[in-house]
Amino acid sequence: MPPLVPLLVSGPEGYNSPVDAASPTIQVKVLFFGRLKEIIGRGDDTVDLAQDAPIEALFARYSSSYPELANFRASLVASRNQEFAAWSTPLRAGDEVAFLPPVSGG
Amino acid sequence: MSTTTPKPGSTAQISTAAADLILLVREAIDSEALVRYVRTAADGAVVTFDGCVRNQSHGRWTLYLDYEAYESMAVAKMREIAVAARAKFGIDRVAIAHRLGRLEIGETSVFIAVSAPHRPAAFDACRFAIDTLKGTVPIWKKEYFEDGAVWADGELPPAPPDTPIAKPAS
Repeated sequence: MPPLVPLLVSGPEGYNSPVDAASPTIQVKVLFFGRLKEIIGRGDDTVDLAQDAPIEALFARYSSSYPELANFRASLVASRNQEFAAWSTPLRAGDEVAFLPPVSGG
Repeated sequence: MSTTTPKPGSTAQISTAAADLILLVREAIDSEALVRYVRTAADGAVVTFDGCVRNQSHGRWTLYLDYEAYESMAVAKMREIAVAARAKFGIDRVAIAHRLGRLEIGETSVFIAVSAPHRPAAFDACRFAIDTLKGTVPIWKKEYFEDGAVWADGELPPAPPDTPIAKPAS
């Protein structure tokens, strides 16, 4: 299991838990494609999380809400702002993150 | 028709720079327009790749395919392929079009045209372009059969390796 990094917890209605003053909250856009979109039930989302939280932690958050996602972790690649990105990439305000299954164009 | 570039009206995403024409479209790909686009007086060869929807997959009859894309990133990655092809091979122009949405058997899903002064570079660059597209461009196809549908097996694009998470400075 990858290490879990503390994230600000955001409920489905946008409720935020008390904010850690040392770690400002940022908002990022999240995109899902292919089978992931079907599991999540939507193609895009906006989430609040701690600044510099890695992409891995963002995925872990979705996996806790949608356990089936964890099965796909080893066969996904992540992107940040339309570039393939390491799972350890820290996120900044306004980033666009996508979780991409194996590509099958052509 | 004497225009040399496809009309952008029906395209979801269009991107042109230098001599590259990159298209994501939701209607039939105008492959003849792509060929006209790449073919200049300086060229001795045009090589094209026409990727089309096959009627079977893994021993089952296919009814149709449905393609989706991360459109902004797909256009960026297709552009990178054209740039890399030009850096690698002695070619003139590159045009790459990929179609999205529902495609019937026999329809063209991807079309690539490459022009060059001489044929070896055009062949090599066209092969490079389709192989790289299939391995790196964020497009997905779902195959529909009489008894269900599956997301096609694909290739996982290479990503940068993880780096240890930096400790916050104290």
